[in-house]
Amino acid sequence: MSLLAGDLRAFLASGKKELRIMRRYPMNFVGGVFWAALLPAVYVLMGRAYSGGSDPRAISAFADRSGTTEVAGFVFIGFAMYMWLSSVLWGPGTALRREQIQGSLEATFLSPVSRLVPLFGPGVSALIPMLFSFAVTFISLWLMFGFIPPWGAVLPVAVIIVVALPAMYAIGTLFAAGVLRYGEIGPVVQIVRGTFVLACGITFPVAMLPAWAQAGAAALPPTYIVSDIRAAVLGGASVGEIGGDLLTVVALTAVIALGAIAFFRVLEASARRTGMLGRY
Amino acid sequence: MDELRAAIAIAKKDLVVLSRYRIAVVSQIFTPLYQGVIPAFLFGASFAVAGRVVGLDATVGTDNLAGFIFLGGVVTGLVAVCFWSMAMGIRFEMDAGTLEPIWLTPTRHETIVIGRALGGLVWFLISQVILFAIGIFVFGLRFDVGIVWAIPAVLVAIVGMVGVAYLLAGIVLLIRDANIFIDMTNFLFSTASGAAFPVTLLPLVVQPIALLLPTTYAMDILRQQAIGARPLFDPLLEYIGLITTTVVLYPIGRWAFSQAERSMRVRGTISQY
Repeated sequence: MSLLAGDLRAFLASGKKELRIMRRYPMNFVGGVFWAALLPAVYVLMGRAYSGGSDPRAISAFADRSGTTEVAGFVFIGFAMYMWLSSVLWGPGTALRREQIQGSLEATFLSPVSRLVPLFGPGVSALIPMLFSFAVTFISLWLMFGFIPPWGAVLPVAVIIVVALPAMYAIGTLFAAGVLRYGEIGPVVQIVRGTFVLACGITFPVAMLPAWAQAGAAALPPTYIVSDIRAAVLGGASVGEIGGDLLTVVALTAVIALGAIAFFRVLEASARRTGMLGRY
Repeated sequence: MDELRAAIAIAKKDLVVLSRYRIAVVSQIFTPLYQGVIPAFLFGASFAVAGRVVGLDATVGTDNLAGFIFLGGVVTGLVAVCFWSMAMGIRFEMDAGTLEPIWLTPTRHETIVIGRALGGLVWFLISQVILFAIGIFVFGLRFDVGIVWAIPAVLVAIVGMVGVAYLLAGIVLLIRDANIFIDMTNFLFSTASGAAFPVTLLPLVVQPIALLLPTTYAMDILRQQAIGARPLFDPLLEYIGLITTTVVLYPIGRWAFSQAERSMRVRGTISQY
């Protein structure tokens, strides 16, 4: 029991340390406002160019493929997911790599806490940028394009986020484990994020993908998360209507989290043999 | 003549360094493809009616979606070369600790930016050829042979962008966290040039700024000649705008760079970052 309590204390300390580091770099939050507001705004303007300034035929074609005529809402919600993915992959996903570069990974692994603490602990810090980018997204959607999400969407979106958090956490953790084997993972972050952007319907409707890619998208939690948030905010869907999707997300989360732990165990054993912990 | 040799040597050095990072080379081709071109193409295609992007036709006078996006990519790539290769490249030398020795050589400091511009432009040309080949074979990219008539406009815009690069290099030498600055301004410059959508869709307060950029005119001339897009102004006026902005921006950039260099000498900050 005392061992578990110690691990829990170490887990909280790990999260607290990441939050403290985050606080030391306030410029990153300026960047967060900039990208969360302007990236989707540019896409909305692209949408206006492609739709001929809301030509009814073009908007109707878009609605057939995306399920909504609200282009700005569709795009901004997609980019909120993009920002969340970015903060997960560049935050907890690269936390072990940062420890490695700073020379503190070896020291952390020599402490008596469970190895899962440094793996899962930094994930706590991803909550702040996620909530921050969601706030910026919806405020800028309102200020720039006059779209105000309905109050009725608050509960379903909150439920989706609560269910989605472990899934996103698991994705970041699975990714973080790779550091023990491959070291530099910056370029991989770009590729993985790009894959999610292409596969999960973040910037365009999933219906635009070929059938094989749509089948692949069905195995990725962000596909359901972004689709359900859109359904709740733009289509007024209730928690009951998206319940099936949420159960799928829970199942996928379990698979990814177990995979991350198994992957981490294998790579940790390999890193012990090869001495990769102290190298980069 | 010596300065030209030095510029070519700097360009060759940059290309050799880049070629040593093969994953980075591949990434520089594919990142714009999967982060820019493919999402934009599929987003645009989601507005298509019976296979035709009628909305784009109404906006710019052509429904050639692939052409619109890939030509936008040319200007986006050119802006990225200016911001990252030419201006931020100076910062990379600073971070690597090699800027001070380079500064001590008899080569003029302006030549360093020109050398980086040459290296960046060679890589820009190679990457655009590959991207266009992918566009033609995968995305059905088609454009008119008249695209060659837009080459002079692109060349003039390159000169203007070297002026912008001098200006940015001066700023990069003076500020500490240049990465975020370059990242944001690169995005804004590219957007204001009309690379992603016509500048007429920008907010009214931003449109005059767009008209101060040489790339706005080059973008418009390029799309007009290559895919028959409707121009913003009469082509003659666009050339006048392009040449005027270039003639104004180049000396401003040189002046800003020399001022930044002078400030660095006075404050002794060349080896600090």
